Amino acid sequence: MSQDSDPNRKDQQTPPEATSAPAEKLTPAADGDPIQPKDDWAAASPASEISTADEPQSYRSRLGLALASDPDVPTVEPAHDQTGVQVIDSALVYTGYWGPLDESMHPAIIAIRNHFPDAIEEVAFFRDEVTVRIRARFLQDVALMLRDQPELAYRVVSDLTAVDMLNLRATPRFDVVIQLLSIRNRQRLRLKVGIDEQQPCPSLTGIYKVTNWLERECYDMFGITFEGHPDLRRMLLPEDWDEGHPLRKDYPIRGFKQYVQPGFENPAPRVRDYRRD
Amino acid sequence: MSMTEAPHTGTLQIEDERQISDTRRELVLNMGPQHPSTHGVLRVVLTLEGETIVSTDPIIGYLHRGVEKIGETRRYSQFTPWTDRTDYVAAPLNNLGYILTVEKLCGIVAPERAQYWRVIMAELSRIASHLVWLGTHALDIGALSMSLYCFRERELILDIFEKFCGARLTTNMMEIGGFSRGIPPGLVEQVESFLQIFPEKQQEYVDLLSANPIWIARTRGVGIIEPDAALDYGLTGACLRGSGINYDIRKAQPYLVYDRMDFDVPLGTHGDVYDRYLVRMEEMRQALRIIRQCLDQVPSDGPLMLNDSNYVIPPHDTVLRTAEDMQRHFVWVIKGFNAPKGEVYVAIEHAKGELGHYIYSDGTANPYRLRIRTPDFVNLQVLPYMAQGSMLADVVALIGTIDIVLGSVDR
Repeated sequence: MSQDSDPNRKDQQTPPEATSAPAEKLTPAADGDPIQPKDDWAAASPASEISTADEPQSYRSRLGLALASDPDVPTVEPAHDQTGVQVIDSALVYTGYWGPLDESMHPAIIAIRNHFPDAIEEVAFFRDEVTVRIRARFLQDVALMLRDQPELAYRVVSDLTAVDMLNLRATPRFDVVIQLLSIRNRQRLRLKVGIDEQQPCPSLTGIYKVTNWLERECYDMFGITFEGHPDLRRMLLPEDWDEGHPLRKDYPIRGFKQYVQPGFENPAPRVRDYRRD
Repeated sequence: MSMTEAPHTGTLQIEDERQISDTRRELVLNMGPQHPSTHGVLRVVLTLEGETIVSTDPIIGYLHRGVEKIGETRRYSQFTPWTDRTDYVAAPLNNLGYILTVEKLCGIVAPERAQYWRVIMAELSRIASHLVWLGTHALDIGALSMSLYCFRERELILDIFEKFCGARLTTNMMEIGGFSRGIPPGLVEQVESFLQIFPEKQQEYVDLLSANPIWIARTRGVGIIEPDAALDYGLTGACLRGSGINYDIRKAQPYLVYDRMDFDVPLGTHGDVYDRYLVRMEEMRQALRIIRQCLDQVPSDGPLMLNDSNYVIPPHDTVLRTAEDMQRHFVWVIKGFNAPKGEVYVAIEHAKGELGHYIYSDGTANPYRLRIRTPDFVNLQVLPYMAQGSMLADVVALIGTIDIVLGSVDR
C-alpha cells in the first residue's frame, strides 16, 4: 500500500534527500534496510549509512565529523570492572572518557598550550574529569581551535552553565562552565571561564549554535551578559520578570517580593534568606 | 501587539499581520501554550507567508519550577524525588542520571546485582517513554487509535514499576548505593511475561503505521535535519541518530553494565520524521534484548545495596537490631552526608537523548550548584531550523518528533 502512495508524495513535496527512500525500509529486517542495526560499534559508521548512490553529494560531504571507520580513531576499551561490594577508585571505573589525567599528556591541553601560551590559568583533575580554566579573552579562540583541530574535534557543546562563586571566593564572581564533547574520540573536556559581575562573557554562538539557548538561560538565571549573542532575552522566566536572577546565591529561595496568600491576612514570611547581609 | 503582551489563552490565534510588499503578506500566528499538540505548555509564535513558515519562536518556561535552585537547598539524598518530576514519563532514567552523578562524586559504586536491576528498570522506562512519544506523536498526526494501544502496553510497564517500588509514575526508585528494598517475588516472571507480550504488540504498531500512506505522507521528507546541523545544534538521542550519526552513550562511554550487553544502535539515513520514528521503534526492540540479557546474567542472590558507612543509608534490618546502625541511620536522615569537594558531570543515555547532571560540591551536605542538562531542552532548539520553509500543518509533526516533555524542558 505504501508503494502506491509513495510516487505521488515524491512528486509533490519530498526534498531530493528523501526521494531515495527505498520501500523496503518499512520492514526494518529486510535487505537494504537503512536502519539495519550494526553488530560492531566500530564498523558502524555514518558514512556507510549515508552512502546511497542517488543522493546529493552535499548531504555526505557536509558531514564534517570524523567517522568511526577512520583507522586512526582510538578505540575505547570497556572500562568497567565492577565486581561485588567494594568501594573502588572512580578514576578506574570511568577511565577513557576524559583523556589522560596528566597535563603533559592530555592532547587538548597540549594543543591549547601550543596555540595560546597565555590562555590556561589552571588545570584541575577530579575523579577522572579534566577541567581547564582559561582566561575569558581567549575563550572564542580556544573553542574554535578545539572544534577545528582534526585530532581533537570537540564538535559538540554538551552543556553551558554557570556557578555563582559568591560564598567561596572574592573575585571573579561567576564561573561559566562549558562541557565539550568529541564524538570522534569519545572524550569530554570541561572549560571554565571566570567572569566578574559587570564583565561580559564572550559568546560562543558563532562557533556552536547550541549555545544560543544555553547562554540565554545563563543570562536569565545569573545575569551574565554574553557579548555577541544575537538574541539575549530571558529564557525560562517571563520577559517582564523584575526580581533579578534566581540562581545567584544572594537570591532568596522564595524570592524578594512578599506575596499575599489567599486565605491569610498577613503575607507569607520570608523565612530563609541567603543574602549576604 | 508585541509578543509579550499577547494573550496566553488562545490555542491558535492571529497576533499580527503585516504587508511586506504589494504581493506578499506576513502573518504572525500564536500557537499554544494550551494547544493540545504541544505536549504540555509550549508556546510557539509562527510567522507565516501563506501557509509556509518563515520563522518560529518557541517560548518556554510556563512549567518552570526552579528545580536547580531547589537542589541547592536540599541534601543529596533528598533531591532524588525531584528528579522524577523533571521528565515525568521516564522517572527511573532521571533517578539513574542523578544517582550516578552523586555516586561518582562520592567515589562509590553500586553492587553488581543492583547495576543489572538498574539497567532493567532504565530500559523498561525507555520503552515506556517511547510508547508515550509514539502515542502522542501519532495522535497529533491523526492516528487516534495509536494512543490507546500505546498506553495499553505502557500500563504493563507501570505495573512492573508498581510491584518493584510501589509507585507508578514518580517512582523515586533508585537510591545512592543501590536499592534498599529487595526484589519482590514474582517480579522476574512479570518482566519475562512483558518480554513475551510486547513484540507482537509492537508488530501491531508497525502494521498500523509503517506502511500507512497517510503516516508516510505526513512524516517522510518532513523535518529533515542534516548531520552537521544536528551536531551544531547539539542534538542527542534519536534526533542525532536519525540523521545518521553514530553516537549512543551506552556504546560510546558505557556506564553500569552496558558494556556487557549485546545490542545495536539504529541509525537513520535521511534525518526526517519518518527516520526518527524508525529509530525509536528499533530502540524499543533493542531495549527488549538488553532486558533479556540482563535477566539471564543478573545474579539471583547477593547484595542490592552498597555497605558503606559514609554515604549510604544503613540497611533496614541492622538499623532495628544494632545501636551503631541506628545512630548512623539517624545522622544520615537528619544531617545527610558531606560529599567530597569537587565537580562532576555525568551523562547517561536518556530516552530522549543525553541527560547530564553537573554537581559542584563545596564539601557540605548540599550541592553548591546542581545543573540538570535535559535532552529535550537542547533538542527543542532545532525546531526553528526544521520548521523553516515547511507547511503550517507540519509543525505538530515536528514538535512531536523531537519528543519533548515540558516538565523536562522547563525544569
